[in-house]
Amino acid sequence: MSAPSLAAALAAHGVDARVDARAALAVLTVPNADAAERLRDADVRRAVIALAAQHGFTTVALELASATDDRAALSGH
Amino acid sequence: MEPVLTEAARADVATAASSSPDSPSPRPSTTAREKEQRLVAWLAARRSVILGFSGGVDSAYLACVALEALGPARVLAVIGRSPSYPDAQWDAARTLAAQFGIPVLEVTTHEMLDPRYVANPSNRCYFCKTELWSVLRVVADERGFDTIVDGTNADDMHDWRPGLQAAREHEVESPLADLGFTKDEIRALSRARGLPTWSQPSSPCLSSRLPYGSAVTIERLRQVERAEAALRALGVDGDLRVRHHGDLARVELSADRLEAWLAAPNLRALTGAVRGAGFARVAVDLKGFRSGSLTVLGAAGV
Repeated sequence: MSAPSLAAALAAHGVDARVDARAALAVLTVPNADAAERLRDADVRRAVIALAAQHGFTTVALELASATDDRAALSGH
Repeated sequence: MEPVLTEAARADVATAASSSPDSPSPRPSTTAREKEQRLVAWLAARRSVILGFSGGVDSAYLACVALEALGPARVLAVIGRSPSYPDAQWDAARTLAAQFGIPVLEVTTHEMLDPRYVANPSNRCYFCKTELWSVLRVVADERGFDTIVDGTNADDMHDWRPGLQAAREHEVESPLADLGFTKDEIRALSRARGLPTWSQPSSPCLSSRLPYGSAVTIERLRQVERAEAALRALGVDGDLRVRHHGDLARVELSADRLEAWLAAPNLRALTGAVRGAGFARVAVDLKGFRSGSLTVLGAAGV
């Protein structure tokens, strides 16, 4: 399993994310929620999961990087 | 601040929920009806039954049929309370029993005092069920109940369930499994009986959210309980699991809800809700809910 090589493969597919490997779990961290919008598309998710599998990961999860981003959004309600 | 969804976000999620195809057919099939008749006969052939009762789909259905077959004096539904189940579940179980006139006894189980359970090996359920069935055996003997039953169904027999061994060792019978009831059939028959549990998602114990090898602690269980409660309050419906990976919570949602919950405002609200439950990091699983996902990750998935 290689987090850097998965990150590079994802970037080539237009998904810019930091990859944190926890055994067979790949955590993709994006800077904010807007950056995650592309992953609403089921085809994109399937492609990401397939890429991760090619790099040895059985499980892929998406994380938001910034806590301050959340607070700003929540206080806006 | 409590995370809340905007009106647009709520509509988005509601649309996803209303289009969900996760309902069984509204009426039970002839086959299911026939199985139910055999179940009634099976129960009626017993002098009395005591059953492990969680208030979930299977045990609620079995309790109602047992009540019909034997009457309230010969049925006892036992709730085994432990920290590995959320309080809300026991409240729901008690409410359901009261609504349908099911006689209930609550007992406390002590699997958290068993280091073999706390160590969270892959056969953790064996130690939990050993404790539960040991307690029920004592209750059955004291009160003169001759048969102990559980709500295991035929689909369960295909899964990794070390708890089944404990049931066999304590002579617990599983009529739903033995008579071939599938989960969908139980849901359809429950719906026909007016049981509110018919559409209830499966709800295994909170310890199942911890990877094997990660010790089961009260604090970790409460973290998961708080996070899932917060997400339900936010509007998450259908299947939901918050998997505990130390500082990271991995949230599994129904696959058909992912598109809605990955929308920017919803994702921010979801993240805030889970962080509020005590997790430093929150990640949404891109495949969505599937049973046993931690088994795939194995003990190293912490």
